[in-house]
Formats: sequence, structure tokens, C-alpha cells
Amino acid sequence: MFDVFRRNRPLLVAVLLVALIVFWMSNRYEPKVTANILLSGLTLGALYFLVAAGLSLIFGLMDVLNFAHGLMFMLGAYFGYTVYANPRIILNTLPLMLALGGGAMAGAAPASWVWARLGAAQNKRGALIVVWLLAGALTLAGIWRFDLQSLAANAATVAGGAIATGQAQEAAGALAARLGLLSGAGLALGLALRSREFGPGRSMARNAALGIGLVVLAFAIVPARISGEAFILGLSNNLRFVLALAVGALGGAAIGALTEVGLIRPLYSRPIYQVLLTLGLVYVGTEFIKGVWGPVGYYMDIPDYFNTRGGDCPSPNLLLWFRDHCGSIDVLGRPFPSYRLFIIFLGVAVFIAVAALLRYTRLGMIIRAGVQDREMVQALGINVQWVFTLVFALGTGLAALGGVAAAPFIGVNPGIGQDFLLQSFISVVIGGMGSYPGAAIGTLLVGLARAFGDQLVLSGVQFPGMETAVKLSPSIARASTVLIMAVVLLLRPAGLFGKKE
Amino acid sequence: MTDLLRVENIHTFIGQFHILEGVSLSVPAGSITALLGRNGAGKTTTLRSIIGLLSPRAGRIMLDGREIQGRPAYDIAALGIGYVPEHRAVFRDLTVEENLKIAERRKGDLDRRSDLIFDLFPDLKRFIRLPGGQLSGGQQQMLSIARVLVADNRLLLIDEPSEGLAPVIVENIIEALRRLSDHTTVLLVEQNFRMAAQLADRYYILDDGQSVQSGQMAELARDGALVAKYLGAG
Repeated sequence: MFDVFRRNRPLLVAVLLVALIVFWMSNRYEPKVTANILLSGLTLGALYFLVAAGLSLIFGLMDVLNFAHGLMFMLGAYFGYTVYANPRIILNTLPLMLALGGGAMAGAAPASWVWARLGAAQNKRGALIVVWLLAGALTLAGIWRFDLQSLAANAATVAGGAIATGQAQEAAGALAARLGLLSGAGLALGLALRSREFGPGRSMARNAALGIGLVVLAFAIVPARISGEAFILGLSNNLRFVLALAVGALGGAAIGALTEVGLIRPLYSRPIYQVLLTLGLVYVGTEFIKGVWGPVGYYMDIPDYFNTRGGDCPSPNLLLWFRDHCGSIDVLGRPFPSYRLFIIFLGVAVFIAVAALLRYTRLGMIIRAGVQDREMVQALGINVQWVFTLVFALGTGLAALGGVAAAPFIGVNPGIGQDFLLQSFISVVIGGMGSYPGAAIGTLLVGLARAFGDQLVLSGVQFPGMETAVKLSPSIARASTVLIMAVVLLLRPAGLFGKKE
Repeated sequence: MTDLLRVENIHTFIGQFHILEGVSLSVPAGSITALLGRNGAGKTTTLRSIIGLLSPRAGRIMLDGREIQGRPAYDIAALGIGYVPEHRAVFRDLTVEENLKIAERRKGDLDRRSDLIFDLFPDLKRFIRLPGGQLSGGQQQMLSIARVLVADNRLLLIDEPSEGLAPVIVENIIEALRRLSDHTTVLLVEQNFRMAAQLADRYYILDDGQSVQSGQMAELARDGALVAKYLGAG
């Protein structure tokens, strides 16, 4: 009995902290206010968790502090919003990326075979320069004067419907020519990279086939752009929202994988450079977003499934909500937005899914082992490199998913990444770097503290013996999470569940 | 006997430190070869260079006549080399079963080998569901050895298996390694000279990152002066 307490001490500390916050609140406020604050806290916590889960796994497994994780959250929100409101921009740019990427895969497959036949080192050096120049020139030609700006004319988008700028798309022939140039550039790039991963005998044919398949897909999208756009915009906004979630998460995962392979991987032996790199990515990415989507923010509609008004609304309970899909649900006499309940549900579902992945699959076993000793995992014959890429993609995909889910709640603008990153970092530090349950508990604490802090700022603090309540600055709500972090770190320097410091 | 492993004059650096300054050795198939030497002589670095956790800057490492130096560790291990590092390195949060399962290279490896493994180390079967971190030091050492038996390994690199263990447990491990040597080839790093002398057929002595002496273990055991010179008091 006593042993159970000793072994689960961090969990007990966490439960105690939560109980303390709840108890304090329930003493000060009516139950309906307390319930509302708790649910708001859970909503924030769920969003923080989607960012923190990847942050924690990535740090635990590969010791990379990914400052660009907030950027992924933001990119997810933008991708999701774009599919939702202006799919034209995706339908016109995706083929370009597919052509380049597919070409590179197809080019990398025979690369080592080709280079091995070039003979002398001087030949190789000369050929390498030529191939690089070719790749650069073809890429430049492929994107020469591509009119991204008018494609991205989001301001002209009428909510839920047609896009005003009808002539923004390039003619199919011109786009197909670009695709031809870019797949050629990809081929040259693949040859130039001379990656060992795609060497002979290492599923060379499969990689080549996959690359060619991607190029074919790119060409196939070209004639389907207009009907595709009409199809997506014609869907109900519920389905478009689901599509946005899927595209946002997959896009985030793809960008994460590319970042790991192309930028992080060469720097594993130089961790300081990695930190600088991910910090730099934040600036580049934020400016990229401003360049494409503009500095102003957008709001994504709450899907109708969570947004019915009138009639019997707000729903008196969850069961009736499933019949009416009201915009809010009555919680102890006060309405609470049902979309936020969906965010909580999403957070819990992701927590369970990733926990199951870690616990019951071979990949999960390798991740858990790698967090403890990745060198030993390598020495057992497991290619940890690919596991790194997968985990990086998984983590950034989850953050991007969080970004899409947050879009109807907090909107989409070039500033949302930083605040979420900061709070998620604090959560991960509280929970313990590299601990998955720690990330969950940490985000829960931080979410509750934020919601509670916001309430304190609203109602002011009145200590016994004071005539009127003191109004606090809103920064106090943000500072409260740092305070919790400081206290936890004083008591347990590795965080609640942490083993690494 | 043919040589399963040949190491030819390798030079390995850790950071800017030149640790191995020309180590050569060969391990005949089916034998136990001991790698001896003082602390810091370069024994562990030699094993890590062979498995590929460190990359030698010069020299050749051949497994069955194929050059393997410079390839990534997972690639080298997959050729059939099992590595039992010093300090055991079991995965503390994984159960005993998971610690074994993770070493599978093909599905069902563990099932095929479980008879051999649990016959050698019956304790592991009893604690199969326990996290590796809760085992005793000796049990962790057994788990660490058992882990390299799961897949088909032709060569085992075993680093200081007796380190920090009680004499009774060391006896157990010696017995297990002796039975193992019927199935496989072992390159053994060992500070405990008595243990090495009981197990090994041949020996190499490293000193200051160079191989300085080699021969039949039985002869070394009789040569007190040599033992004293390179290994301290035998």
C-alpha cells in the first residue's frame, strides 16, 4: 500500500496541485463558474498537449529542443484554413512540390549506381557541380514568375463560397510545363544528394516507383484543379473541417519529416547549431506565412455540427446535444461552447492513441527504448535514423492538428505559434522532459492555471481585510504558469515525471 | 580455423583524442578470444569501433572477409554481431520480455530462441513481466547477454560481464558463456583475469591503444611476468 504511494509520488504531487487549484476555486466561486473555468482550462490544456506531446517525444528521443514546434502548430492552422476556405492555393502549389519531391526520390534511387560508374574523382567532382547547377537552374525556371499572390487572395474569399478572383490560376499547359521542369530539377537533386539511404539493394526499385508515382499524381492534379476546388467548396462545412484537420496534420507531418531529414539530421553532432537552426526556422517560417497569407488574421467558422442555434439550444445535457448539435451545452446552469468540448475530446483521444502506440506496437517499444539509450538500440541492428524521422513527423503532425483544431477557437494569425510554444515548453518542463505522461499532466496543470489566472484577472483579488478587490494585469495569468514551473523545478529538478535533466 | 573477424591496424579517435593507435586482432570462428589490458588501454573503444558506434579513421575491419568499417552501427549489427556493452545497458522502463523482443530482427526470433535463453537464464523467465530497471545487477547482466541471443548472431562482443557482480553470480555467468561458446564466437573484454583464463582460448593484450601481445590463453596463465607487466597483479 505504502509502496504504491512511493512509486507514484509524482502523480500524487500532480493530483494534489490540481486538487488545490480546484478547491481554491470552489471556495471562491459558484459551482457553475468553477465548472466553466475547469472546462476552459481543459480546453487550453488539450491544445497545449497536442503541441507538448511532440515536443516531449522529440526531446526525449533525439535531444532536439525544437523551437520550430510552435511554427508547425501555426502552419497546421494555415494549411487547414486554406483547404477550408481557399483550396485553390493548395491545388495549384501541391503539384509543384510533388513534382520536385517525387523527382528527387526517383533520382536518388539510382544515384549510387550512377556515381559508382563515373570513375575518377575529378570526373565526379565536375559532374557533381554540373548536376547541382542543373538542379538549381531547373528549379528556378520551374517557379519563375509563379503568381502566388493572386492565388492567395484570401481577402477576396466570400465566406463559405466562391472565390472572387476567377483568373488567378495558370493555364493547365503552363503549369504542366512547370511540373516538367521541377521533376527534372528533382531528378538532378536526387542524384546530387547521393544519399546512402537509397543505395542499391535497399528497396531501390520501390523508391523509384514511389517517386515516379508522385510525379504522375502531380500531373493528374493539373486538369482536376477547377472541379476539385468546386468539389471541396461544395462540401458541407463539417466535411471541409474534417478535411482541414486531415490536410493540416498530414501537411505538418510532411514538413516535419522534411525538416528532420534535410536540416536537423546533419547537425546531430552539433546540438547548439540545432537550437539556432530551429530558432531561425521560426523567423523564416513566420515571414513565409506573412508573405503568403498576409499579416492579418483569419477566422475559421465553427463547423455547423457544433454550431446550431435557436430551438432547444443550449442543450441541457450531452445526450440531447447529440440530437441538436447546439453551439453550447448547459453546464450547471451556464452555457459552455460545445466546440471547446470537441477540443477536449480530441486531446484525450490523441493522448490515448499515442499512449497505445507507445505501449503496444514495436515502433512504440523502439521509441521508449530509444529515449533511454538510443546507442544501444542502434547496436541491436535497428535503424534509429528512420525512427527519428517518424517521431519528428508524428510530433509536428500532432502540433499541426492542434493548430487546425484551434483555428475556429482562437483564429489564425502569424502570432499564435509563439504563445502556444511557450506554454507547451513550460508544460513539458513541469511534466519532465521526455516523459509522455509528464507532458499530459504538465499541460493539464498549465491549462488549468491559465484559465484560473484569467478568471482572477477578471474578478480581481480580494484578500481578507481589503475594502475592494485589486485588479491584476492580464500578464499575471501568463506568469502563473511560470510560477508553477519554478515551484516544481525547486522540488524536482527533472520535472514531475522526468528522468533526464 | 578460419577467422570470423579480422581487425587490421585500426586508428580510432574520440573527439580529438587518438585512442586506438593501431589495433590488430583476429577472432577464429567458434572460439572465445579475450581482449585484455589495463583501464584505458582501449578495449571498450575497440569493441565500439567494431560494432560501428565509433568509426575508425584508418585501418580495416573484416567480418567473414567483408569490410565493415565506416558503416552505421545498425547495418553492422544486422550482419550478425551482438554487442553486450559494459554497465549492461538494459532498457530500464521496458519489461524483460520487451528487452528481448526489441532485439528481434525477424518476427518470431524470440519464440525460436526462448528455449535456449530461458534454459541458460531461468531467472529471466520468472521476471518476464518486470521492468528491466528493477532486476538485480546480475539479472540485468544476464538479460543483456540474453538480448544478443535472440537474433542469429555469428559474433558476440561482450564487455566486462563480471564488473560489479558478486562472485557467485560471476560463476553463473561464466557457466552460461561457456555453454554459449558451443553455438557462437565471442570476443570478450574482461578485467577479471581469472574469469578470462577460465573461458578464453586465445588472448590479445592492448596497451596504450596498441595491440602488444597475443597467444594461447593457457600460456599466458603460466607467464606471471607478462601478466604483471600489462595487467597489474594477476
